[in-house]
Amino acid sequence: MEFFATYVLNFAFAFASMAFIVLGLAIAFGLLGVMNMAHGEFVAIGAYSVLVVQQAGLPFILAVPLAIVACAIVGALIEWLVIRHLYRRPFDTLLATWGIAILMRKGIEVAFGRSFRSVDPVMPGTIKAFGIDYPSYRVMLIVLVLAFFVALYLWYQRSNTGLRIKAMVQNPGLAAALGVDTSSLSRMTFIAGVVMAGIAGVLIAPLVKVAPLMGFDYLLNSFFILVVGGLGSIQGLLTGAAVISGGDTVLSSIFNQSAGYIGVLLISILFLWMRPNGICSDR
Amino acid sequence: MHRRDFMKTATGLVAAGAFAQIGAIRQAAAAGSVKIGILIPMSGPAGLFGPSSKDCAELAVDQINAGGGVLGQKIEPIYVDAGGAPAGVTQSALKVWKGQGARVFIGMHDSAVRGALVNLFKGQVPYVYTPVYEGGACGKGLYAIGETPSQQLKPVIPWLASSKGASKWYLIGNDYNWPRDTNKAAKGYIAASHGTIVGEEYLPFAVDNFDSNLAKIKQTGANAVLVTLVGGASVGFNRAFASFGLSDSVLRLGTLIEENTLAGIGAQSSKNLFSSAGFFAAVDTPTVQAFDKKYADKFGPKAPALNTLGESCYDGLLFFDALAKKAGSLKVADLDSAADKGVSYDSPRGKLTYKKGEVASNIYLAEASGASFKIVKTFANVSSGATCA
Repeated sequence: MEFFATYVLNFAFAFASMAFIVLGLAIAFGLLGVMNMAHGEFVAIGAYSVLVVQQAGLPFILAVPLAIVACAIVGALIEWLVIRHLYRRPFDTLLATWGIAILMRKGIEVAFGRSFRSVDPVMPGTIKAFGIDYPSYRVMLIVLVLAFFVALYLWYQRSNTGLRIKAMVQNPGLAAALGVDTSSLSRMTFIAGVVMAGIAGVLIAPLVKVAPLMGFDYLLNSFFILVVGGLGSIQGLLTGAAVISGGDTVLSSIFNQSAGYIGVLLISILFLWMRPNGICSDR
Repeated sequence: MHRRDFMKTATGLVAAGAFAQIGAIRQAAAAGSVKIGILIPMSGPAGLFGPSSKDCAELAVDQINAGGGVLGQKIEPIYVDAGGAPAGVTQSALKVWKGQGARVFIGMHDSAVRGALVNLFKGQVPYVYTPVYEGGACGKGLYAIGETPSQQLKPVIPWLASSKGASKWYLIGNDYNWPRDTNKAAKGYIAASHGTIVGEEYLPFAVDNFDSNLAKIKQTGANAVLVTLVGGASVGFNRAFASFGLSDSVLRLGTLIEENTLAGIGAQSSKNLFSSAGFFAAVDTPTVQAFDKKYADKFGPKAPALNTLGESCYDGLLFFDALAKKAGSLKVADLDSAADKGVSYDSPRGKLTYKKGEVASNIYLAEASGASFKIVKTFANVSSGATCA
C-alpha cells in the first residue's frame, strides 16, 4: 500500500510538471499555429533565472519575476523579428524557431558555461501525504499546478480576452473585421506562452540538472503530449500529459527508465499513425 | 604613396611577418618542446571535473618546466575536451595527435572513452590514464595509475558493514564498463562481509529522473547504496535521494563522489554520504597539505575544489616525467620496459611506485559533513591489485 502511494504521488508529480511545461507550447501551437522549437530554451531561461537569483543571495521566489521579464523580453523580440511574419505556417515556424533555439542554447553556453549547474534545494524535507513521506516541494508543486489549471480554465471560458482569442483562432479575418486587434492579441498570446515556459523552468529548477541543453528533453516530451492529447483544448493537454507521464511512470517502475522512454515513443507513434488528431480534438 | 603600392607593401610586410612568425615557432620547436595532449572533460555529465583537472595539470606542467622539462624538453600542453561520447573524443584526439603533433597523452575521462582511445593509439603513442577506474587496463604504451575497486571497496565495504551496519546493498550506476566492473568486484566484497545485494540498476547518462529507482530502493529495504553514477547524474540522484528522506536511514557510498560532486549535491542532501578515494583535499598528511597550499596559492580561494580526479592529472604528468627519465626516451618500447622495472614518483598522496600496472597507495574513507568531507578512516598502503604481466 505504502509503495502504491509512492507510485501514485510520483505519477501525480510527473503529470503536474509535464502539463505545466507543455502549456506554453500548446498555447503557441494550438492557438497560433506556431511550432515553437525554442520552447525548451525558455524553460532553460526560467531555470537559469533561479541560478542567477540564488547566486545573488536573493530568495528563490524572486526568480519568478526575473524569469517573466527575461522570457517576455526575449519572446517579444523573437515575435517581432520572426514569428509575426509566420503565423499559421507551422512548418516555417518550426524551421525558424529551431534556428532560434540553437542560438539561445549557444547564448546560454556563453553566459553560464557548458557544464551543468545545480541550484539549491527549496523547501527541503518531507511531509506526510497519503500515509508516506513525500518531498514537501513536490507536493506544493502538484497543488499549485492543479490550482493554476483550474483558474486558467475558468478564465479562458469566461473572460473577454479568452473570447477574443477563441474568435481569432476560429476566424482571424472575421475577428479583425469585428475590431479585434489580432496582431497585438497574437503577440500577447505568444509572449504568454513563452512566459509560462519560463515559470515552469523556475519551478522545476530545484529538482533537475540545469544545463544549456536541458530544453531539448522537455521539448520532446511536450510534443509527445500534444500528439497524444490533441491541440486546442486544456482537456486535451491534460489527457496527453496523463497518458505520457502515466505510461512513463508505470513502465519505469516495472522495468527501467529505458523501457519508460521506449513506451512513450511507441504510444506517440501509435497515435500519429492511428489517431493523428489526438484524443481530444475538435478539428 | 599610391594606394596600390601601399597595398603591395602592406601585403608584403604582413607576409614577411607571418613567415618570421612561422620561423620563430620552428625555432622554438627545435630548441626542444614536447606537446602533450591533456584529455579532460569540459562538457557533459563529467564536466564538473574539468576545471580542477585543468588547474592541477597546469601546476604539474609549471613544476616540470621549471625543472627543465621532460628529458630537457619543455612541455606544451594541449587541452582537449573529453567530456563527450567516445567517437567525438577520438576525433579530437586524432587531430591533436596527427594534426598538432602531440607525442604524449594524459587522460582523465571515463573508461568508455579510454577504450576508444586505446583502439585509436594502438600503442603508438604513450598514454597515461589517471582517474579512478575498474582495474586491469593493460596494453602497449598504456599506463593506468588511478584507484581501483580493490582499493576503494575491498577494505571499505567490510568496515561499513561492521561499523555502520551496511548489510543490504543496492547498486546503482551509469550504464558503461566502469560501473558494471566496479559492481562485479563489489559483489564479491559484499558477499565476503555477509551482506546481500537487493537491487542492481544501470541508467543511461541522460536520465535526470530517479523517481522509479528511489521507489525501488525504498521497496527493497536497502540500508546501503553503492553509487557509481558519474558527475551530473550522481548529483541529481543524491539530491533526489535526500529529498525523499531516504538519507536518514540509508547510507550511500560512492567511489566517484569527489569534492565538486559533493558541492553539487549540497549540504542539505549529504547526510550519511560516504566516499572512498586515494586523495581528499581534507587529508592531513604533510604532502597533501603542501599540495593544497600550492594549489590555493596559484589559483586563489575561488579555485575549483581540489579532488582526487583533478589531483590525478598532476600525478599523471609527474609519473610520465619520472617514467621518461627512467627510460631516457619517449619511445613506447623504452617506456614500457622502464614501467616493467618500476617507476617511482612524488605524488601528494606520498611516494608512489608504478610497476607492471600496479600502484599501492593510502585509501581514505570520508564522510560528508555539510558540503565538505571529513576523513573517518585511513587504510594504509592498499594495492590496486591490477597487474599487467
